[in-house]
Amino acid sequence: MTPGSRLAAGTPVRVRSGDPRTHCRTPHYLRGKCGIVVRALGDYPNPEELAYHRPGMPALALYQVEFDSAQVWGDRLREAPYRIVADIFEHWLEPAGAAG
Amino acid sequence: MTTGAHAVHDLGGDPAGPVDREEHARTLFDQRVDAMLRLLAHPQKGYFTVDAMRRSIESLAPVDYHALGYYERWLRAVRQLAIERGLVSAAELEQRMTQIAQARQASPQNMPGQDRQ
Repeated sequence: MTPGSRLAAGTPVRVRSGDPRTHCRTPHYLRGKCGIVVRALGDYPNPEELAYHRPGMPALALYQVEFDSAQVWGDRLREAPYRIVADIFEHWLEPAGAAG
Repeated sequence: MTTGAHAVHDLGGDPAGPVDREEHARTLFDQRVDAMLRLLAHPQKGYFTVDAMRRSIESLAPVDYHALGYYERWLRAVRQLAIERGLVSAAELEQRMTQIAQARQASPQNMPGQDRQ
């Protein structure tokens, strides 16, 4: 998403693909998956920068995003479908329609 | 798509047994490591952040990551970050460790930290 944009609850998003070797708070199993914004949690210095003694500014918006476990795990799902809720920074999110 | 290989700490979706929900008693060692982190990462000191701690722990070799206890991982990270930030050099640490080991050998009953493995 464009830095500074604000996503409303209910906005469909896709988590960016990617496999950084550096510090990253976005769980690998959610990358490339589609979810829905639950709410904005506020702006926070970027932990991917803080982790290397850099200031992490400008602060990034952090969102609670929910996912359908059936969509995340596919045929690996072993139990009744449930909701997965994860905190994901804005630079890991893109519009749900965009190519992953 | 999710990727096959992932960082050692990023366990979601991996085969695993039940989660151990038992409380564990804190040892003196655990408390000392916790105190070191809190002092060094305190905003008024700001030698490093909890984010840097996480990065350092996540960078452990998988064999170490799985073999070490929770606070042992912390201690490895505190050591690495203290060196990164120039608070102490690896040589100074080794020298001090040798001194402590020698003192302990000479007079084991007087050494602090007897709970350490």
